[in-house]
Amino acid sequence: MIPTHWFLILGAILFTIGVCGVLTRRNGITMFMSIELMVNAVNLTFIAYARQFDQVHGIMFVFFILAIAAAEAAVGLAIFISLFHHRQTIDVDEANLMHW
Amino acid sequence: MEFVIFFFFATVAVVFALVVVLHRNPVVGALSLVATFFSLAVMYVLLEVPFMAALQIIVYAGAIMVLFLFVIMLLNLQHVVEPHTRPIQQFLGYTTTAAFGIGLVYFIAKYGVFTALPASPFRADIRTIGFRLFEAYVFPFEMVSILLLAAIVGALVLSGRAVGSRAEIGTELSKQPGSEEIR
Repeated sequence: MIPTHWFLILGAILFTIGVCGVLTRRNGITMFMSIELMVNAVNLTFIAYARQFDQVHGIMFVFFILAIAAAEAAVGLAIFISLFHHRQTIDVDEANLMHW
Repeated sequence: MEFVIFFFFATVAVVFALVVVLHRNPVVGALSLVATFFSLAVMYVLLEVPFMAALQIIVYAGAIMVLFLFVIMLLNLQHVVEPHTRPIQQFLGYTTTAAFGIGLVYFIAKYGVFTALPASPFRADIRTIGFRLFEAYVFPFEMVSILLLAAIVGALVLSGRAVGSRAEIGTELSKQPGSEEIR
């Protein structure tokens, strides 16, 4: 049986990579995929703690996070399609209409 | 044996996550993200939750990534190459996240180590999850269903043609003979 902290460290590394993607990339789709990466890292941490403390609540949280991530992906990609129709690009630097 | 599987798939997950972040082509990024999700499903099997592993593959690797690839292909973004600009901000982003990650791993390794493993095997089969879902978590479950409905409507409204084309349809209708009676 693998100790819990290995899963926590893997989750931390994946989350950090996702943060790096959101901060350094400007392609909207890639930023979105980095956000999905962060969500998955948090899911892994939830399940690792759920096993450590023998509680099903962590699994339930991951279940709801899955559903919400699906909804978020659908709405976010629809926003990018709409942005592409208006600006012909999905570079997020171009989406500066509400930018002071 | 378990450790070999864990470290192999952990390496796969981290390497492909790095490909997602560093590669300039979004199609390569999306396919690498599928590999990362698959290795995370292996992690869930190692954590004795095979149901979540199946859900991970079906929902993430199956549905969400197909949506991503579909949008990339629809908008014809597979040839888009991101220009290298803003070197100072890029450098700051990389160094800040590196510091953040090193700090996070350091503190987990220092304070988050569980010496005692759970004694009993983790019972999180579909039966347990289903009973929990429809007993204690009924209200969030219904909320999520409403949220998904709202997401469907929102995606339809957002990705449909914008206001201008709707106005054109309106003028076309008003030009047609006999449309006065309809109004």
